[in-house]
Amino acid sequence: MEKPRVGVFICECGGNISDVVDVKKVVKTASEWENVLVARHYTYMCSKPGVELIKQSIKKRELNRIVIACCTPKMHRKMFERNVGEEGINPAFLEIVNVREQCSWVHHGDNEGATQKAIDLIRGAVKKVENAVPLHPGKMPVKPAVLVIGGGIAGITAALRVAEAGIKVYLVEKEPTIGGHMAKYAKVFPTLDCAQCILTPKMGDVAENPNIELFTLAEVKAVEGVPGDFKVKIKLKPRGVDVEKCVGCGACNRVCPVETVSDFDEGLGKRKAIYIPFPQAVPSAYVIDFDSCTKCGKCAEKCPRKAINLEDTEKEIEINVGAIIVATGFKLFDLSDYGEYKYGMHPNVITALQMERLMNVAGPTSGAIVRPSDGGEVKKIGYILCAGSRDTNKGKPYCSRVCCLYATKQALMMREFMEGLDIWIHYIDLRAAGRRYEEFYKNAQIEGVKYVRGKVSEIIPDGDQLIVRAEDTMLGRPIENKYDLVVLCPPIVPSPDITKLAEILKIPLDEDGFVLEKHPKLDPVATKREGIFACGVITGPKDIQTSVSEAEGAAAKAINFLIQKEKIIEPNKAYLAVPEKCDACGECIEVCPTEAISIASEKVEINEILCNGCGACIPACPKEALDLKGLSEKQLMAEIEGILTGSESEIKILAFVENEIAYTALDLTGVARLSYPSSIRVIPVPSTSRLKLKHILYAFAKGADGIMFLEAPEHEGPFGKAHAIAEERIENYKFDIEDYDVDSIRLWFSKVYVPDWRKLVKVFETFDRMIKDEGPIEQEVRENILKQLSQETDT
Amino acid sequence: MDSTKPLIKIDEETSDFIAEILEKGAQIFPKEELERILTCIQCGTCYGSCPSGRITAYHVRVIMRKAQLGLKEEVLKDENLWNCTTCYTCQERCPREVETTDTIRLIRNMAFEAGYVKKPHLIVSRNFIETGHSIPLRDEDKEKRKRVGVSEIPPTTLTYPEALKEVQTLVEATGFKEKVLKLLEEG
Repeated sequence: MEKPRVGVFICECGGNISDVVDVKKVVKTASEWENVLVARHYTYMCSKPGVELIKQSIKKRELNRIVIACCTPKMHRKMFERNVGEEGINPAFLEIVNVREQCSWVHHGDNEGATQKAIDLIRGAVKKVENAVPLHPGKMPVKPAVLVIGGGIAGITAALRVAEAGIKVYLVEKEPTIGGHMAKYAKVFPTLDCAQCILTPKMGDVAENPNIELFTLAEVKAVEGVPGDFKVKIKLKPRGVDVEKCVGCGACNRVCPVETVSDFDEGLGKRKAIYIPFPQAVPSAYVIDFDSCTKCGKCAEKCPRKAINLEDTEKEIEINVGAIIVATGFKLFDLSDYGEYKYGMHPNVITALQMERLMNVAGPTSGAIVRPSDGGEVKKIGYILCAGSRDTNKGKPYCSRVCCLYATKQALMMREFMEGLDIWIHYIDLRAAGRRYEEFYKNAQIEGVKYVRGKVSEIIPDGDQLIVRAEDTMLGRPIENKYDLVVLCPPIVPSPDITKLAEILKIPLDEDGFVLEKHPKLDPVATKREGIFACGVITGPKDIQTSVSEAEGAAAKAINFLIQKEKIIEPNKAYLAVPEKCDACGECIEVCPTEAISIASEKVEINEILCNGCGACIPACPKEALDLKGLSEKQLMAEIEGILTGSESEIKILAFVENEIAYTALDLTGVARLSYPSSIRVIPVPSTSRLKLKHILYAFAKGADGIMFLEAPEHEGPFGKAHAIAEERIENYKFDIEDYDVDSIRLWFSKVYVPDWRKLVKVFETFDRMIKDEGPIEQEVRENILKQLSQETDT
Repeated sequence: MDSTKPLIKIDEETSDFIAEILEKGAQIFPKEELERILTCIQCGTCYGSCPSGRITAYHVRVIMRKAQLGLKEEVLKDENLWNCTTCYTCQERCPREVETTDTIRLIRNMAFEAGYVKKPHLIVSRNFIETGHSIPLRDEDKEKRKRVGVSEIPPTTLTYPEALKEVQTLVEATGFKEKVLKLLEEG
């Protein structure tokens, strides 16, 4: 490697820096350091003349390393990177030292301390940049195709939107038709649109769109590869009917001797073993239910198109996609544990989904509402809302969000076609928080639907009727009401297939089993894994309108991800630096938050696309075989040494700060011009899980009197699990340093949220006072640590 | 409420009271206004605003709920009905625009017809039947009137006996007089 020729540039920031930091002294000191060929200060380094000054210096003195001391790198790093890049300087050879937010703005009144700290930080940066190696972002082609899993309204919408953008879509549905739950509904709230009328044209569009390849009776078996290039194995269950040949004449259905329970009718109706779920099904073809088919062969005999194959078998196909959208939807929670509701014990207690089929003109009773027990007349219906939702005892802790509205919808619809039908809705809180929803509820009240506030405690059968017991909490009195039919509104739970699917896709689920969003507020349709998106009820209970909006969002995200054609791979990743040391022990695999590490030919292999560069794997390696590009072992040690050696400060505290959240909080203390002791010197790290015991000991040996770790919280930080690993490690290091005669109180760990920035000042003041009380570490102790460290390195 | 049992058995002990109220008010109030009682969400703005409710057991929200449930007898027998001052604050503030005060007045009429009324109200009714005034004119009232510069006797039935005749014709024609006197007699 060529000899480093460093230029140091300090910005005065129009007095913002130079009023506190003695920039002349900084320049004078820096110019005396080895390898520093230029040291300059200027009023505004970010201005055109400032940038020109840097560029000219690079040219004239043939500089190959640049250190700029100015404001936070979050402000101008990209701009400086671009400009020095024009002079041939690799981004890895540029260091920004934050002497505004971390010196002049927080140590006003302590000019000497601020100046010393600025000098130390710049020295650290010079040492670090001297040890840098050039880094180049990688590129990988992106496969322009999307897999959509789930063919309900969310999956249909997402598939159509992606296909309309000219991108190939594979739509995978486990049922014999697409349409999902919405296909079972008669009408939808709050508009009371006919569900079939708005859904089936979209289903037709899926069938017609040349960019969409539809697989029904299909299941994702395995996903390999990386975001941008997934290889997906799909299992296709036998259909028994050739979709291309079948014209849907129904001759097969008429001769089939087997009758079984219709799952499409939620168990309320019967169907044949060869059937079509509903007339508008897509694909528009019959299907054999091989679980109940006796293979008598009558259907095959009758079929005029010879479309039936009773010996049809399972197949497996493989596809290649760049992005995946998960839209596997929901099912209703099983209420068998609720003895008090008599579900499954009394035929006249049904679920709301069963009610949808019962009241549907295309349903098992052609829309006639009759008592399932005896076919008798129904005069009075009771709805039980929160039958398991908002119940941490036996049900689900959350609100299922749509039940108040669909119960109201069903009630309104039935009252429209059954005059005098008396409908009571029992609720805990009536939640109608959606556009036009409160109005919908009010309209139902006017139409005579009755509401009782108070969760139903018990349902008592009385012949064909049912007595519902509850409190009317408005009056504070118990109430009893007798119904011909009771409709339960159970919790909406994620489709059970998601447990296995999430494992296959390597995406985390939340505590209720729904797909965890990348960020619940700001990135709601992205999953924690790049290139995989989710929409509809699989991310939480929601109405059709919101599911559709999410599907549009997920489609846009997927298109956005694929449109780049080539994916930039940031270079700051972990890698196996000393392959001969690796014995594939797998310790690093355990800690990796993105599952980027695998074992290949008895060595670990870090996938640079999956790796997020948190650095958590590096201390895990007992052989010290791993390293991190952009903040290598060499750079980190050099920076530690650079900051501490030669410093004239009495007490020196090194703070390793997580670079996103904690660092931003730290910047905010500067922006607010708060003040904290100048003993604190910051080294930004991707996550403090990057740090080994060795780094800490080395810092103590080289002059640190206290060391702090400011880490992002696990759920808010960019690296998830890595932030939790950091805390665990630091707690262990506290024990370890005692072996080297360093008191454990000299290590401090804090989790920092961005809004916590005010608290940081207290933290710094407290730790500074503690360390001052302790006094500097004795020279003998430092020398001893250094000796032991060099011994360990030798062995 | 002390005298009533807490358990409410819908249909067995309740009736479509709202329909009766709507019928009762049909001649005076537009149906679409009066039927807003169906949309009451029991938010409590009415009771929270009620000056009477702060010092008496009059609970307007509870009366609205009982009406919705059809607890007719309980509502009509509730003596607290008569503690409403008809100040209309609740009606002014109701977010669902329920005609609360007007509904209470209708319910009072129904209670009166059913014979549920408080004695002081019967006494003022008798005053009205006899003098055209529910509150008699006392000497100190005359004194006050004089002080503020108006005639000692107000220009009402007290000044115009022919007007009193008209009032008395009305109370007789509507059966009001007979009902009041009968109820007073029964105690």
